[in-house]
Amino acid sequence: MTTTAFRTKSRRSQRPAWDEEPSFAGKFVKAAFLICYAAAIVLPIWAVIATSFASESALQDAGGNLLLLPNDLSTQAYEQILGGGALTNSLIVTILLTVGGTAISMVLTIGAAYGLSRPGSLLHRPLLMLVLFTFLFGPGMYPSYLVVQQLGLLDSYWSLILPSALNAFNLIVLRAFFMNSVPGELIDAAKMDGAGELRILFRVVLPMSKAILAVIALFYAVGYWNIYFQAVLYTPGLETQPIQVVLQRMLMSTQGMPGADIGQYQAAEAAPTAALKMAVVVCTIVPIVIMYPFIQKHFTKAIITGAIKG
Amino acid sequence: MAAIETSAPPVKGRAAGRPTVRRKRTVGQRLRHDWPLLLMSAPALAQLAVFFYWPSSWNIIAFMDYSAYRPFWDNPFVGFAWFERLFSDPYFVPALLNTLKFSALNLMFLFPLSIALALIMHSVVSTKVRSVFQSIVYLPYFFSWVLVVTIFVQVLGADGLVSNWLLGLGGDRLDIMSDPSTFTFLAWLQWAWKDAGWGMIIFLAALASINPSLYEAAAVDGAGRWKRMWHITIPGIRPVIVLLLILHIGNILTVGFEQYQLQRAAVGYQTTEVLDTFVYYRGIQDAAYSFGTAAGLFKGVIGLILILVANNVAHRLGEQGIYQKS
Repeated sequence: MTTTAFRTKSRRSQRPAWDEEPSFAGKFVKAAFLICYAAAIVLPIWAVIATSFASESALQDAGGNLLLLPNDLSTQAYEQILGGGALTNSLIVTILLTVGGTAISMVLTIGAAYGLSRPGSLLHRPLLMLVLFTFLFGPGMYPSYLVVQQLGLLDSYWSLILPSALNAFNLIVLRAFFMNSVPGELIDAAKMDGAGELRILFRVVLPMSKAILAVIALFYAVGYWNIYFQAVLYTPGLETQPIQVVLQRMLMSTQGMPGADIGQYQAAEAAPTAALKMAVVVCTIVPIVIMYPFIQKHFTKAIITGAIKG
Repeated sequence: MAAIETSAPPVKGRAAGRPTVRRKRTVGQRLRHDWPLLLMSAPALAQLAVFFYWPSSWNIIAFMDYSAYRPFWDNPFVGFAWFERLFSDPYFVPALLNTLKFSALNLMFLFPLSIALALIMHSVVSTKVRSVFQSIVYLPYFFSWVLVVTIFVQVLGADGLVSNWLLGLGGDRLDIMSDPSTFTFLAWLQWAWKDAGWGMIIFLAALASINPSLYEAAAVDGAGRWKRMWHITIPGIRPVIVLLLILHIGNILTVGFEQYQLQRAAVGYQTTEVLDTFVYYRGIQDAAYSFGTAAGLFKGVIGLILILVANNVAHRLGEQGIYQKS
């Protein structure tokens, strides 16, 4: 009784009048499923965080790699990561890659999205076709590798940015947004007043597209932050690897398996403790979790523009 | 995911407001008018030229006996010899079959899981529960494969959380992470853990676009919960399902590289070898230029054919597909 009274009070959770209340069993099954599903995601992440803060003695007591509730806390692992050395360098490199890469990607994406969005402009149709064709075909790993090799970019940080700097999907979504959601009258009016294309882009179009720009930038950023495959492929010889590669080497080294083709984990720490490993995991998760609310706030809109067109 | 539109949407916004008098101009005039636009597109097009079209044209070496130590045109053409080699290679066909197996699992079990999650979420009335649950389930989509595999090793690995519990209870060590016979299931589980929530969000967005008055009208006419789902919800999200299905089918030979490369050492190459890892280990690692390129080109061409065929079938079935016929 009280729950229904409460429910009618809170407008946000009101069931429409025509919708019949589901049976108790149905509700129970649904709730149980949702709770289990959420737990399967939250519990491992929680255990990782808890372990990263566990002291060595707490880990030894538990005799395991992962703890749900460490009885003794320590921030030693984080001091080791952030206190200089290989891990710190790797984090700095990855942050620079992410920031620089995202900036480059955004310049490419915005430029082409606007450049190809004006109706009737010269060549916009064939150029758009060139972009769209990338959805249908992949050039293949080996030819891409050969091109990077020919450009002399192997074992250079540029090879982690340039080959994947443009995501055609983002370009198409942004172009569609510019065409459909930025009123053409505004652009025409700005033109009448003598504004050039660049000025129109910066003064009219971009300020109206902040939400979608944020989402696209964050997707690019997550991509650069998670870079692993390109590093394995293009930059195996770099001394300071992106953080994902370092994490992979730490994982391999404790599994007692050679990092196959990648070479051994070269940091000073010979055998990383579980706490250290999990602290690196937390360090790779934290930026994502920080960005997450922004992505969430805006991105349903972006998906609707992109996926459900027509 | 893109409903790729190749033409400007009809009369909307800009087009409607534009004065219709427009004389045909010469290319020179148009160039003088449009050069800033072309200049803005230039960096992106240059990127595509260098990192998409240039490598695409390198695929020609799949038909040559290519060596980096000869001038390019001195390399003899060998027709389809490398492709014949490919199919008689003892590792290629298993890699292809593995790829298809993982793809099929994804299509048969991950896709419906996303839809089911979305339907369940859609039926949850409380917006608070919905937003909390949504935020949780698609978080792993943004994790890297390294992270996902690390977390799985820590939880389900031989020294992991669950294994330790079992040991504590007097059971056996859990060894499913490195057991080839359970790896297929585990690979699917990792995939589901990472991506099902994301799929759910896309279907939820589609569900949100269904007009609620349809449900109301159906309910008034006496249609129950299941009937409404069958006759309103499913048709409502069908275009999105078809769209994603086409993209999945086009990507049937692309199951990713990282997930399998990361677990290769623990599980063994027989179980984890997919086409991308095959190209990497047997092509790039062995500097087998033409052979590796042929394997990649095989994948690219099959993908191209599949996506065109799937799209064509969708058109025939009256669906919109990924691009419109124009």
